[in-house]
Amino acid sequence: MPKVTFITQDGAEVAVEDAAGLLMEIALENDVEGIDGDCGGVCSCSTCHVYVKPDWLSRAGQATETENDILAYNDHQTDRSRLGCQIELTEELDGLVVEVAPRD
Amino acid sequence: MPTKMNPLDDPFEAARRKCPVLETEFQGEKIPMLLRHGAVREAAKDWERFSSDAPRRVPIPSEENVRSVRQYPIETDPPEHGEYRKLVEPFFRRPRQPEVQARIDALIQQLLGEALASDEVEIVRDFAVPLQSRALTYLLNVDEKEAETWISWGVHVFKEGDGEGKGSIMEQYCRSMFEAAAETPGEDFFSALNEAEFQGRRLTMEEKLGFANLTFAGGRDTVIHTISCIIAWFGEHPEALERLRENPNEVTTACEEFFRVFIPLTHIGRVCPHATEVHGAKVEAGGRISLGWFAANRDPEVFEDPNEVKTDRKPNPHIAFGFGAHNCLGATHARAIMRSLVRQMSEKVAAIEILDSAGSVEHERDYWRMNGYDRLLVKLSRLG
Repeated sequence: MPKVTFITQDGAEVAVEDAAGLLMEIALENDVEGIDGDCGGVCSCSTCHVYVKPDWLSRAGQATETENDILAYNDHQTDRSRLGCQIELTEELDGLVVEVAPRD
Repeated sequence: MPTKMNPLDDPFEAARRKCPVLETEFQGEKIPMLLRHGAVREAAKDWERFSSDAPRRVPIPSEENVRSVRQYPIETDPPEHGEYRKLVEPFFRRPRQPEVQARIDALIQQLLGEALASDEVEIVRDFAVPLQSRALTYLLNVDEKEAETWISWGVHVFKEGDGEGKGSIMEQYCRSMFEAAAETPGEDFFSALNEAEFQGRRLTMEEKLGFANLTFAGGRDTVIHTISCIIAWFGEHPEALERLRENPNEVTTACEEFFRVFIPLTHIGRVCPHATEVHGAKVEAGGRISLGWFAANRDPEVFEDPNEVKTDRKPNPHIAFGFGAHNCLGATHARAIMRSLVRQMSEKVAAIEILDSAGSVEHERDYWRMNGYDRLLVKLSRLG
């Protein structure tokens, strides 16, 4: 089962072993500060905004058109931005590291 | 007025296809209304051009006659807006606490049990108003008995009956709550605002009343109308109750879809500090534009079959709770209530017979829209 590490805004690292499912849901289950997933994963709220560490960008994939639409007016969007509800943690992503993006 | 209106009707369909903006007016004031998803979101983020720093003029129509205070934090701009908002955010996030969610669940269980045991129930007055009011006591961490006073205010504090008189009664009530909390401080919303600091000073009574005003007026008819629309829709679609019963994981996406289609707040205003133009519509300095949340949520460029309720719609980038810094403070509460309501209805209710109904209809110069019910008399049948 893959491992994922979240780095929160205050620099704390939350490492989750044997993780499965959507990145947003994994963050909620492990009380990762700054990830709320308010809309439950339908790309409406952007409260699961993360930055994918550069080494992982190609494997995690680019943001979809809908993600980009929702992040387009977010002051904190970068080219590493993704919504955690749109990333399914697979074996290929074992070791993934993401940073929790700041909020307005 | 069309003879038979339905909350799923989209009165903006033709106008939105033609142009991103509808040049309309409200009470004689020319206000261009943005209709398309992208245009609304773009304007919602551009607070320097489209400002909320406009006491009593953010709602359309404006509320200069029904309240004396500026509402906080909604009628302020960044960066002050963020500082004000932080003062109350912990209360508005309370439904995320398991014990608060458990109280919401228990309240809905009780109200639903009573409704199922009755021959008929009037959903607006006897179900949605008490549900919204009593759940709000959990949010504000005050005695549940306070809800009795709030229930007496009806569906909307300002827009129903004698708005001026009722607005003034609510302000007096809030003032007395802040004074009582100052005498005997507790862990409640009123005590917290008495103690809160903004830019190194305590809040003024005017600011505190402004927070309370938004809290009581903003999340009231919106939650109540959403509840009545959902229940009426289930009445017409009993198969959806069964589907959710078999797929409880779909409750969350179903609720987001209900928020998208039934959004009670058709639009909200912004004031233009400088003369400007929005998609060809000219606005004078001090004039207003309207952010058409409802119309944006039915934009066919973003939502396939936009007037259909699809309980598994995903993605669903609706803007029912607004967009940007001002996104709805009460969204967490609304979601907690609706998810619990929809889940419990799917578990306990077999069918809903609509015995009588009267729509709540916005009647404006260029559109009519049914955004809820003034009356919804139903009979609920228990499952099994």
